[in-house]
Amino acid sequence: MPKDAPVDPRGPRFSAWMTTVVLAVVLLTGWWRLLAAQTVLFALCAFVSLKLNPWGHVYRHAVQPRLTPTTEREEAAPLRFAQGVGFVFALVGTIGYASGLTTLGVVATAAALVAALLNAAFGLCLGCEMYLLIRRYAPALARPQ
Amino acid sequence: MIGIWALLGALVVTGAVGAVLRFREGRVTKVAARDVPDEVRELLAPDAVTLVQLSTTFCAPCRHAKVLLGDLASRTEGLHHVELDITNLPAVASTLGVLRTPTTVAYSAAGTELLRVGGVPRRDALLDALRPHLVSPT
Repeated sequence: MPKDAPVDPRGPRFSAWMTTVVLAVVLLTGWWRLLAAQTVLFALCAFVSLKLNPWGHVYRHAVQPRLTPTTEREEAAPLRFAQGVGFVFALVGTIGYASGLTTLGVVATAAALVAALLNAAFGLCLGCEMYLLIRRYAPALARPQ
Repeated sequence: MIGIWALLGALVVTGAVGAVLRFREGRVTKVAARDVPDEVRELLAPDAVTLVQLSTTFCAPCRHAKVLLGDLASRTEGLHHVELDITNLPAVASTLGVLRTPTTVAYSAAGTELLRVGGVPRRDALLDALRPHLVSPT
Protein backbone atom coordinates (compact mmCIF):
# COMPACT_ATOMS: atom_id res chain seq x y z
CA MET A 1 0.00 0.00 0.00
CA PRO A 2 1.54 3.39 -0.99
CA LYS A 3 2.21 5.83 1.81
CA ASP A 4 0.73 9.33 1.70
CA ALA A 5 2.65 12.43 2.73
CA PRO A 6 1.53 14.22 5.90
CA VAL A 7 -1.33 16.67 5.32
CA ASP A 8 -2.59 20.05 6.54
CA PRO A 9 -4.86 18.96 9.44
CA ARG A 10 -7.60 21.40 8.43
CA GLY A 11 -8.15 19.52 5.16
CA PRO A 12 -9.53 16.40 6.87
CA ARG A 13 -11.74 18.61 9.08
CA PHE A 14 -13.24 20.22 5.99
CA SER A 15 -13.65 16.82 4.40
CA ALA A 16 -15.39 15.55 7.55
CA TRP A 17 -17.94 18.40 7.35
CA MET A 18 -18.70 17.45 3.74
CA THR A 19 -19.03 13.78 4.72
CA THR A 20 -21.42 14.79 7.51
CA VAL A 21 -23.60 16.67 5.01
CA VAL A 22 -23.63 13.72 2.60
CA LEU A 23 -24.61 11.30 5.36
CA ALA A 24 -27.32 13.68 6.63
CA VAL A 25 -28.80 13.85 3.10
CA VAL A 26 -28.77 10.04 2.97
CA LEU A 27 -30.63 9.83 6.28
CA LEU A 28 -33.23 12.42 5.23
CA THR A 29 -33.88 11.01 1.77
CA GLY A 30 -32.99 7.33 2.07
CA TRP A 31 -31.14 7.75 -1.24
CA TRP A 32 -28.93 4.68 -0.99
CA ARG A 33 -27.04 5.32 -4.24
CA LEU A 34 -25.50 8.39 -2.64
CA LEU A 35 -24.43 6.25 0.30
CA ALA A 36 -22.97 3.72 -2.12
CA ALA A 37 -20.94 6.51 -3.72
CA GLN A 38 -19.72 7.61 -0.27
CA THR A 39 -18.76 4.00 0.46
CA VAL A 40 -16.62 3.88 -2.69
CA LEU A 41 -15.01 7.18 -1.70
CA PHE A 42 -14.16 5.85 1.78
CA ALA A 43 -12.67 2.73 0.18
CA LEU A 44 -10.51 4.72 -2.26
CA CYS A 45 -9.16 6.93 0.53
CA ALA A 46 -8.57 4.04 2.92
CA PHE A 47 -7.10 1.47 0.56
CA VAL A 48 -5.59 3.46 -2.33
CA SER A 49 -4.66 7.05 -1.48
CA LEU A 50 -6.00 10.09 0.34
CA LYS A 51 -5.21 12.08 -2.80
CA LEU A 52 -8.29 10.56 -4.43
CA ASN A 53 -10.56 12.42 -2.01
CA PRO A 54 -12.34 15.13 -4.09
CA TRP A 55 -13.00 17.19 -0.93
CA GLY A 56 -9.23 17.40 -0.50
CA HIS A 57 -8.98 19.06 -3.92
CA VAL A 58 -11.84 21.43 -3.12
CA TYR A 59 -10.07 22.29 0.14
CA ARG A 60 -6.72 22.96 -1.55
CA HIS A 61 -8.18 25.12 -4.30
CA ALA A 62 -11.07 26.93 -2.65
CA VAL A 63 -10.48 26.95 1.12
CA GLN A 64 -6.77 26.74 1.88
CA PRO A 65 -5.80 29.92 -0.08
CA ARG A 66 -8.16 31.90 2.19
CA LEU A 67 -6.66 30.59 5.43
CA THR A 68 -3.45 31.55 7.17
CA PRO A 69 -0.79 29.03 6.16
CA THR A 70 0.19 26.53 8.82
CA THR A 71 3.28 24.42 9.19
CA GLU A 72 1.34 21.92 11.26
CA ARG A 73 1.11 18.55 9.59
CA GLU A 74 -0.82 15.43 10.40
CA GLU A 75 0.33 11.90 9.58
CA ALA A 76 -1.71 10.16 6.90
CA ALA A 77 -1.86 6.72 8.56
CA PRO A 78 -4.46 7.66 11.23
CA LEU A 79 -6.60 9.39 8.60
CA ARG A 80 -6.58 6.39 6.32
CA PHE A 81 -7.43 4.09 9.19
CA ALA A 82 -10.41 6.33 10.05
CA GLN A 83 -11.54 6.23 6.41
CA GLY A 84 -11.45 2.44 6.70
CA VAL A 85 -13.73 2.57 9.74
CA GLY A 86 -16.06 4.87 7.80
CA PHE A 87 -15.98 2.43 4.90
CA VAL A 88 -17.24 -0.44 7.08
CA PHE A 89 -20.17 1.59 8.44
CA ALA A 90 -21.09 2.99 5.02
CA LEU A 91 -20.91 -0.47 3.46
CA VAL A 92 -23.23 -1.95 6.10
CA GLY A 93 -25.55 1.03 5.60
CA THR A 94 -25.63 0.61 1.83
CA ILE A 95 -26.35 -3.10 2.11
CA GLY A 96 -29.11 -2.33 4.61
CA TYR A 97 -30.85 0.27 2.44
CA ALA A 98 -30.40 -1.65 -0.81
CA SER A 99 -31.70 -4.95 0.56
CA GLY A 100 -34.75 -3.43 2.25
CA LEU A 101 -33.35 -3.68 5.80
CA THR A 102 -33.93 0.05 6.16
CA THR A 103 -33.43 0.08 9.94
CA LEU A 104 -29.96 -1.42 9.53
CA GLY A 105 -29.19 1.16 6.86
CA VAL A 106 -30.37 4.03 9.05
CA VAL A 107 -28.48 2.84 12.15
CA ALA A 108 -25.19 2.30 10.30
CA THR A 109 -25.48 5.63 8.49
CA ALA A 110 -26.28 7.44 11.75
CA ALA A 111 -23.21 5.84 13.38
CA ALA A 112 -20.99 6.97 10.51
CA LEU A 113 -22.48 10.46 10.79
CA VAL A 114 -21.65 10.60 14.52
CA ALA A 115 -18.01 9.70 13.78
CA ALA A 116 -17.74 12.21 10.92
CA LEU A 117 -19.34 15.02 12.92
CA LEU A 118 -17.16 14.32 15.98
CA ASN A 119 -14.18 14.75 13.71
CA ALA A 120 -15.57 17.89 12.04
CA ALA A 121 -16.89 19.70 15.10
CA PHE A 122 -14.53 18.52 17.85
CA GLY A 123 -11.44 17.53 15.86
CA LEU A 124 -11.74 14.11 17.41
CA CYS A 125 -10.86 11.10 15.31
CA LEU A 126 -12.92 8.41 16.98
CA GLY A 127 -11.58 5.58 14.82
CA CYS A 128 -7.96 6.52 15.56
CA GLU A 129 -8.34 6.96 19.30
CA MET A 130 -10.37 3.81 19.61
CA TYR A 131 -7.91 1.77 17.57
CA LEU A 132 -7.11 -0.41 20.58
CA LEU A 133 -10.78 -0.95 21.31
CA ILE A 134 -11.44 -1.88 17.69
CA ARG A 135 -8.43 -4.15 17.69
CA ARG A 136 -9.65 -5.97 20.76
CA TYR A 137 -13.17 -6.58 19.49
CA ALA A 138 -12.61 -6.73 15.72
CA PRO A 139 -8.98 -7.82 15.16
CA ALA A 140 -9.60 -8.56 11.48
CA LEU A 141 -10.57 -4.94 10.83
CA ALA A 142 -7.55 -3.49 12.60
CA ARG A 143 -4.88 -5.69 11.06
CA PRO A 144 -4.78 -4.99 7.30
CA GLN A 145 -3.37 -1.50 7.90
CA MET B 1 -39.82 9.53 8.90
CA ILE B 2 -37.31 7.33 10.65
CA GLY B 3 -34.44 9.13 8.88
CA ILE B 4 -35.20 12.51 10.50
CA TRP B 5 -35.30 10.97 13.97
CA ALA B 6 -32.07 9.08 13.27
CA LEU B 7 -30.42 12.34 12.17
CA LEU B 8 -31.63 14.19 15.28
CA GLY B 9 -30.52 11.26 17.45
CA ALA B 10 -27.10 11.24 15.83
CA LEU B 11 -26.71 14.99 16.44
CA VAL B 12 -27.63 14.60 20.13
CA VAL B 13 -25.31 11.61 20.56
CA THR B 14 -22.46 13.51 18.89
CA GLY B 15 -22.95 16.48 21.19
CA ALA B 16 -23.01 14.26 24.27
CA VAL B 17 -19.99 12.15 23.27
CA GLY B 18 -18.04 15.25 22.25
CA ALA B 19 -18.81 16.97 25.57
CA VAL B 20 -17.86 13.92 27.66
CA LEU B 21 -14.62 13.32 25.74
CA ARG B 22 -13.67 16.97 25.88
CA PHE B 23 -14.26 16.98 29.64
CA ARG B 24 -12.17 13.85 30.19
CA GLU B 25 -9.44 14.76 27.71
CA GLY B 26 -6.12 15.22 29.45
CA ARG B 27 -7.44 14.77 32.99
CA VAL B 28 -5.32 13.05 35.60
CA THR B 29 -6.92 9.91 37.00
CA LYS B 30 -5.89 7.26 39.49
CA VAL B 31 -6.76 3.62 38.95
CA ALA B 32 -6.36 0.46 41.03
CA ALA B 33 -2.90 -1.10 40.86
CA ARG B 34 -2.31 -3.39 37.89
CA ASP B 35 0.52 -5.70 36.88
CA VAL B 36 3.30 -3.90 35.03
CA PRO B 37 4.05 -5.67 31.71
CA ASP B 38 7.73 -6.50 31.09
CA GLU B 39 7.76 -4.30 27.99
CA VAL B 40 6.89 -1.35 30.22
CA ARG B 41 9.04 -2.32 33.20
CA GLU B 42 12.25 -2.30 31.18
CA LEU B 43 11.59 1.30 30.14
CA LEU B 44 11.42 2.66 33.69
CA ALA B 45 14.23 4.87 34.93
CA PRO B 46 15.80 3.47 38.13
CA ASP B 47 16.01 6.84 39.88
CA ALA B 48 13.21 8.99 38.47
CA VAL B 49 9.49 9.14 37.81
CA THR B 50 8.86 7.77 34.31
CA LEU B 51 6.00 8.90 32.09
CA VAL B 52 5.25 5.96 29.81
CA GLN B 53 3.28 7.27 26.85
CA LEU B 54 1.37 4.51 25.07
CA SER B 55 0.83 5.31 21.38
CA THR B 56 -0.23 3.65 18.15
CA THR B 57 0.65 4.28 14.54
CA PHE B 58 -2.90 5.46 13.87
CA CYS B 59 -2.98 8.13 16.53
CA ALA B 60 -2.67 11.79 15.53
CA PRO B 61 -2.87 13.32 19.05
CA CYS B 62 -0.03 11.02 20.17
CA ARG B 63 2.40 13.32 18.38
CA HIS B 64 1.12 16.34 20.29
CA ALA B 65 1.40 14.42 23.55
CA LYS B 66 4.94 13.36 22.67
CA VAL B 67 6.08 16.93 22.08
CA LEU B 68 4.41 18.20 25.26
CA LEU B 69 5.69 15.41 27.51
CA GLY B 70 9.18 15.43 26.01
CA ASP B 71 9.44 19.14 26.72
CA LEU B 72 8.02 18.75 30.24
CA ALA B 73 10.46 15.95 31.08
CA SER B 74 13.46 17.86 29.75
CA ARG B 75 12.63 20.84 31.96
CA THR B 76 11.73 18.88 35.08
CA GLU B 77 14.34 17.27 37.26
CA GLY B 78 13.64 13.66 38.19
CA LEU B 79 11.12 13.17 35.37
CA HIS B 80 11.71 10.85 32.44
CA HIS B 81 9.54 10.37 29.33
CA VAL B 82 9.39 7.36 27.01
CA GLU B 83 6.98 6.45 24.25
CA LEU B 84 5.89 2.87 23.69
CA ASP B 85 4.18 1.98 20.42
CA ILE B 86 1.61 -0.68 21.30
CA THR B 87 0.13 -1.05 17.81
CA ASN B 88 1.47 -4.61 17.78
CA LEU B 89 1.43 -5.19 21.53
CA PRO B 90 -2.26 -5.71 22.34
CA ALA B 91 -1.32 -7.72 25.45
CA VAL B 92 0.27 -4.63 27.00
CA ALA B 93 -2.90 -2.62 26.33
CA SER B 94 -5.16 -5.22 27.90
CA THR B 95 -2.90 -5.79 30.93
CA LEU B 96 -2.90 -2.07 31.63
CA GLY B 97 -6.59 -1.65 30.75
CA VAL B 98 -5.81 0.96 28.11
CA LEU B 99 -8.45 1.41 25.40
CA ARG B 100 -7.45 4.69 23.79
CA THR B 101 -4.25 6.38 22.79
CA PRO B 102 -2.45 8.39 23.81
CA THR B 103 -2.64 7.17 27.40
CA THR B 104 0.22 8.24 29.63
CA VAL B 105 1.01 6.26 32.78
CA ALA B 106 3.36 7.68 35.41
CA TYR B 107 5.48 5.17 37.34
CA SER B 108 7.61 5.74 40.41
CA ALA B 109 11.23 4.57 40.36
CA ALA B 110 10.05 1.51 42.28
CA GLY B 111 7.67 0.62 39.43
CA THR B 112 4.38 1.59 41.11
CA GLU B 113 1.73 3.30 39.02
CA LEU B 114 1.20 6.83 40.34
CA LEU B 115 -1.42 8.17 37.96
CA ARG B 116 -2.50 8.11 34.34
CA VAL B 117 -3.80 10.56 31.76
CA GLY B 118 -6.03 9.75 28.77
CA GLY B 119 -5.59 11.98 25.73
CA VAL B 120 -3.16 14.87 25.38
CA PRO B 121 -2.21 15.82 28.96
CA ARG B 122 -2.80 19.29 30.41
CA ARG B 123 0.65 20.40 31.31
CA ASP B 124 0.00 22.29 34.54
CA ALA B 125 -2.47 19.80 35.95
CA LEU B 126 -0.09 16.92 35.23
CA LEU B 127 2.87 18.70 36.82
CA ASP B 128 0.82 19.54 39.93
CA ALA B 129 -0.24 15.92 40.29
CA LEU B 130 3.33 14.66 39.81
CA ARG B 131 5.01 17.16 42.12
CA PRO B 132 4.62 15.20 45.38
CA HIS B 133 6.32 12.22 43.72
CA LEU B 134 9.29 14.04 42.25
CA VAL B 135 12.56 13.70 44.16
CA SER B 136 13.53 17.35 43.90
CA PRO B 137 10.41 19.41 43.20
CA THR B 138 10.92 22.30 40.83
